[in-house]
Amino acid sequence: MGLMVEHVDKSFGQLHVIKDLSMEVKEGSIFGFLGANGAGKTTTMRMILDILRPDSGSITWNGKDMREIPRHNLGYLPEERGLYPKVEVQEQLLFLARLNGLTKTEALAHLDEWLERFEIPQYRKMKVEELSKGNQQKIQFLATILHDPIILIMDEPFSGLDPVNANLLKEAFLEMHRRGKTIIFSTHQLEQVEELCEDVVIIDKGQTIIKGSVREVKRQQGRNVARLKLDNDPEALWLDSLPGVKVTKRRQDYIEMNIPSNLNPNLIVEEALRHGAIISRFELAEPSLTDIFIERVGRTTLQDVSPAIATQAGGMK
Amino acid sequence: MARNTVTPSEKQISEQETHDVPGSLARSGNQNNLRNIGLIIEREFKNRVSQRSFKISTAIILILIVIASFIPTIVAYISSVTNSQTKVVVVNNAGTIAGMNNVALEQYFNTALNGATNGQSASSKPAYKITMLTTDSTDNLQKQVKDGTTGVLLVIERTSGQDMQFTYYTNTSSFGDSNQSTVQDVASQLSILDRASRLGLTPTQTSQLFAQPQFSVVNVGQSQNNRSTSDIVAGYILAYAGIILIFMSVYLYGVTVANGVAEEKGSRIMEILVNAATPFQLMAGKIIGIGAAGLAQMTAFVVVGVSALLIQNPIKAALIGNNSAALNLNITGSSITLLLLLLVYFILGFLLYATLFAAMGALVKRQDEVQNAIQPLTWLFMVGYIVSFFGIYNSDATWVKIISYIPFWTPTTMLMRIGTGSATWWEILMTIVIMIISIYVCAIFAARIYRYGVLMYGQKPSMSQLFKIARMN
Repeated sequence: MGLMVEHVDKSFGQLHVIKDLSMEVKEGSIFGFLGANGAGKTTTMRMILDILRPDSGSITWNGKDMREIPRHNLGYLPEERGLYPKVEVQEQLLFLARLNGLTKTEALAHLDEWLERFEIPQYRKMKVEELSKGNQQKIQFLATILHDPIILIMDEPFSGLDPVNANLLKEAFLEMHRRGKTIIFSTHQLEQVEELCEDVVIIDKGQTIIKGSVREVKRQQGRNVARLKLDNDPEALWLDSLPGVKVTKRRQDYIEMNIPSNLNPNLIVEEALRHGAIISRFELAEPSLTDIFIERVGRTTLQDVSPAIATQAGGMK
Repeated sequence: MARNTVTPSEKQISEQETHDVPGSLARSGNQNNLRNIGLIIEREFKNRVSQRSFKISTAIILILIVIASFIPTIVAYISSVTNSQTKVVVVNNAGTIAGMNNVALEQYFNTALNGATNGQSASSKPAYKITMLTTDSTDNLQKQVKDGTTGVLLVIERTSGQDMQFTYYTNTSSFGDSNQSTVQDVASQLSILDRASRLGLTPTQTSQLFAQPQFSVVNVGQSQNNRSTSDIVAGYILAYAGIILIFMSVYLYGVTVANGVAEEKGSRIMEILVNAATPFQLMAGKIIGIGAAGLAQMTAFVVVGVSALLIQNPIKAALIGNNSAALNLNITGSSITLLLLLLVYFILGFLLYATLFAAMGALVKRQDEVQNAIQPLTWLFMVGYIVSFFGIYNSDATWVKIISYIPFWTPTTMLMRIGTGSATWWEILMTIVIMIISIYVCAIFAARIYRYGVLMYGQKPSMSQLFKIARMN
């Protein structure tokens, strides 16, 4: 059962934002919700949260209409971070947790536990605006989970985190997963999806284009990726003439190509040897989600994706 | 890949846990309405009163109130200690005036200028020191006026048997000279006495001639007949003060509400808040919380202001003496009623406007757009304020009555009508009922706009769209 989104449509005036969108999130799973900027992720999340109402279609949790689910069972981390900038960390987290039904003592106990886990108990009495972006992000995450919701909906939780903090957050994800929470999150860092998620959906212009388990999605592509490095022939131009082989990248360290899943990869090795090449690397891999995403969502959105990646790279410094 | 970090056994546990989920979902319904509103009120109130700007402005206004209430006492004290005597030299070249010689004239001037009591208390000096002279050469005296050793030089002359001529010498410009009118009054009195005496009237006859007639006022208006004059005056003063207070505070705190909503929208915390509480709860909590903070602030002002005024009399008595004019702060029954109604109309007016201010705040994208968005409300409120001031001397007019029934203008207009005594008790009751109904209607209207607006960051909707939003649910 879990969360079922069925044939949902939503328009804002003339703008048809979501078109017949369906997806299923298994209870207790980590679910990757992917799509380029402007694809309709945030709108869909808001509809799941019953902040927006779909024009048609239904959204249910274990068969029950989402509107009947008490709010405190949901935890939401919005894309644009929102906290009171001039209020102390503890004060606003307690307020939000209590607003979600916790008593003051319960809220305080949860707060202590999570501040410890995130190694930030010293920020308790600081104002949010005084914290670094990464730490604000952690506080934002605490605001989402402190009231112990059963469904977590997170819009870009990893954006703006350095690798250390991203790892902490990942650990927190897995902890919530262990506690049986259902986690839906969107991200532009598809490695994280491959690492964390069982199921994914990729939407484009308000429509589902790919859905299923990560493994299935990769297998469905009907192709594999091969990487080849030749010491004496870095260009290996003869690859272009091989039937079925499509070179996607010629990099300094290796050449990457797509091959149909029915093509025997030995062919490439044999051909290389025939050209007298010295092979220092040859590997076969499933296509990464990034490859699939770029291939399916297309070049137009590539430009939109790159700033997010750039931000990430900036955060790593 | 690390996708399988979660071990199978852990997954089983999580699946077991999730069996409880339907139960935990059903655990709580929507009965936490009041609890949520309470929490939001608490947050808003605390947030407001702990703001540095709020503390500082409250402190500054309190200090100003105390200073203002001490000013009359301080002025009286200063003028009683410092030598602010004006030296008046009267040169009488007219001989006997109104049957008085120079000694009697000096006495006359002294009484007329310094008042009958002649300020005999130890610490206070008479305002004028009079010197009578008879001399032909006033050049030297004029020089004294010029260099400031003499404040006023008054020369009285007469061509025999004719009216007196007064010449007033001064060093200050006539615009800022308060002595001139005082001296001129005495001169004209003296002139009349002199003429009367030349006509052969005795001083007693003259004083009879100028005795005040008996003049009593009876007001037969229905609502005025049981009010004393001091009550009516107090009513006017309280009405004026009340109208200004209501206008300023309702507007000020209303704008605070609009700003607060816009701020939550701007900082995007609204997205989290609407998941935890309904838009109505958020709106109600914010309005009541800020209203309570405002009420606390106003109470502090009123309490400090009244106490500061009440201690003026003992302080004055200690500093200057008992005979100084006492400030009469009379709190009678009718002014207490008026104060209570002031409180009632403030609360109702605030609630009515605050709901609309909140709705307007929810429609803007950023905080700096608030001023523009609330403009229509500002004008709406202004109308009632202006009517209250124009209507204060015309409070029985039909148009004033009609306007006082329109809820947006009721608080200021009714306060004016009550203060001037033109409102009956059933009119007060009816306007209160009308206001409560209007608040209810506006709250529903505002809550819908609020719900629609809090997550809208796009174009501002038109008026017709707003009504459409308000009608649908």
